[in-house]
Amino acid sequence: MFVETAPPLAARSPVTAARATWPRRLARAAVPYAYVAPALAMVVIWTYRPLVGTAQLSLYSWNLLPTAPATPVGLDNYRRLLELPDLGHAVGRTFLVIVGLLPFTLLVPVVVGLLTRRVRGRARTVYQAMIFAPFLVAPVAAASVWLWLLDLHQGVVNRALGLSVNWFNDPHLALWAVILMTGWSLLGFAVLVVAAGLAGINPDYAQAAALDGARRGQITRWVTLPLLSPTLVFLLLMTVLLSGQLTFPLINTVTQGGPLNATTTIYYLLWDYGFRDFNAGLASAAGILFFLGFTVLAAGLVWLSEKVTFHDN
Amino acid sequence: MTTDVAPLVLDEGPAATGEAGLASPAPPRRRGGPAEPDEPVGEVSRASVVGGHAVLVLLGLACVFPIYWLYVTSLRAPDDIFKLTPFPWPLSVSSYSDANKAVHIGRLLVNTIAVAGLTALGQMLVGLLAAYAFAAWRFRFSRLLYLTFVGTWLVPFQVTMLPNYTLLNRLGLLNTLAGVIVPNLCSALGLLMLRQHLDGFPKELLEAARMDGRSSWATLWTVVVPNLRPALAALGILLFVNSWNEYFWPAMVLQRSNSVIQLGIASFIGSADQGLPWGPLSATAGLACLPVFVLYLALQRHVVNGFVHSGLK
Repeated sequence: MFVETAPPLAARSPVTAARATWPRRLARAAVPYAYVAPALAMVVIWTYRPLVGTAQLSLYSWNLLPTAPATPVGLDNYRRLLELPDLGHAVGRTFLVIVGLLPFTLLVPVVVGLLTRRVRGRARTVYQAMIFAPFLVAPVAAASVWLWLLDLHQGVVNRALGLSVNWFNDPHLALWAVILMTGWSLLGFAVLVVAAGLAGINPDYAQAAALDGARRGQITRWVTLPLLSPTLVFLLLMTVLLSGQLTFPLINTVTQGGPLNATTTIYYLLWDYGFRDFNAGLASAAGILFFLGFTVLAAGLVWLSEKVTFHDN
Repeated sequence: MTTDVAPLVLDEGPAATGEAGLASPAPPRRRGGPAEPDEPVGEVSRASVVGGHAVLVLLGLACVFPIYWLYVTSLRAPDDIFKLTPFPWPLSVSSYSDANKAVHIGRLLVNTIAVAGLTALGQMLVGLLAAYAFAAWRFRFSRLLYLTFVGTWLVPFQVTMLPNYTLLNRLGLLNTLAGVIVPNLCSALGLLMLRQHLDGFPKELLEAARMDGRSSWATLWTVVVPNLRPALAALGILLFVNSWNEYFWPAMVLQRSNSVIQLGIASFIGSADQGLPWGPLSATAGLACLPVFVLYLALQRHVVNGFVHSGLK
């Protein structure tokens, strides 16, 4: 990456640079760094320093109390993590959440996008605003709305459908309820992204295919969807990256990881180890493992997006 | 670190409103007329337009219903809370006054406005300075520095929370609003968006200002910022909304006090398993969402205006 860096600043104005004395040249060269400095300081202090700190903490046993000593335990935390079933289960549930969200972030938006391409004008703006509105609702407010809607005795959903389903206290259903709530938040955003993607596709391709005698379904399958693939990969990446951040407040306020850990995703497990069990070492070791896995996953998806997608022109 | 949600909004705003802005001049002629420009097949079917409307109406209603029900519930009289009538009648604001008695909503809103406003302002300032450096100079390590900022996306905030928590504790910022604001002052999202805007900024203007003998600092505030005003306003609103909806970080920093609105909502949920105070809960959640809805509508118009004005120049 260093190869691509630009020639030094002096190249831009050779006359002044040649005339200036070296302290002044140095001062001028320092200007861009000074502008970057505040942002860099924040990122180093609040992201990279703690990342290193977490890596260190993962080698200690510590209960988070400033007065208590932290005892070095080597790789014991990692060994315990891999022996305990918690981590594997949490990763499995996180995966389930991501897969469960795909209908909301990929399937329905694409179907809706294809079905509604011909709706335009002010009506479309109104529909889009309606579908997008849930995305603006704060996660905690969304949690309270859905607690109310899915309440066992008084909730609209149970009463309207004549059911008595205990959505949040049934270990088989709680995770699906979380997925439903998150999907509701994300759906509108995904619909708009797909609509923008479809609008960006040059209609000449479809027209050319139609002239060649392709049927509607064939055009959709072989022309439109391949051209839409960058959008789809972006949505997949977004689902993976955001599912944890969006489900966490819901899980924290509605189920606290329960019942019977049925909604303890990897994000919630980290929180649980740190702020319920006060086990800094274990939480940090899990955090580091998670960070590594996450990086590999994100790199894979970025690679996928560059490799697999078809590009217009 | 916590702003993952926003690129989405940001991608969205321009896409959605841009389309609205472009579509509105000509809709009457196009709607239902023959030969839509991007219609893949030559044949025209009114049925597909009607079907498209139907799909969007149903989806829109499904998305909006929970929000509607939230406000309906908040406006019912306490004895009517469990009614299923679609309109709250007689209207009552007693849920709001009950909520206010329990959590001092006014104070929460003022605190949240302060936190979100200062966070958004700080993020804009820090991001603007760094983005300016990247756009106006070519300097050694600029690519590496840029990657440093992009890389923060890969560090989920659950991984860094323990070291950050201990640092806040040492700085004496735990349970203070400053502790909520300071660690979030660099938003990678804000920086990346500002860089995109600044990269599109005409270099000749910067060069001209330099020829006039203006310092880089004066150029930033007298040339760059005035020209970027629409983009800055839109981004500022997004950062504000993001910070307004933030739950995880305040929940960690303000563990023992309910000082921002999201924690106020959560305090109602955490209180009991059975028989939550639905009226006050809905009222608080409704109030927490209201500013965001208002700002989003304002943002839409603002972005549209931005497009129009940039077209006139």
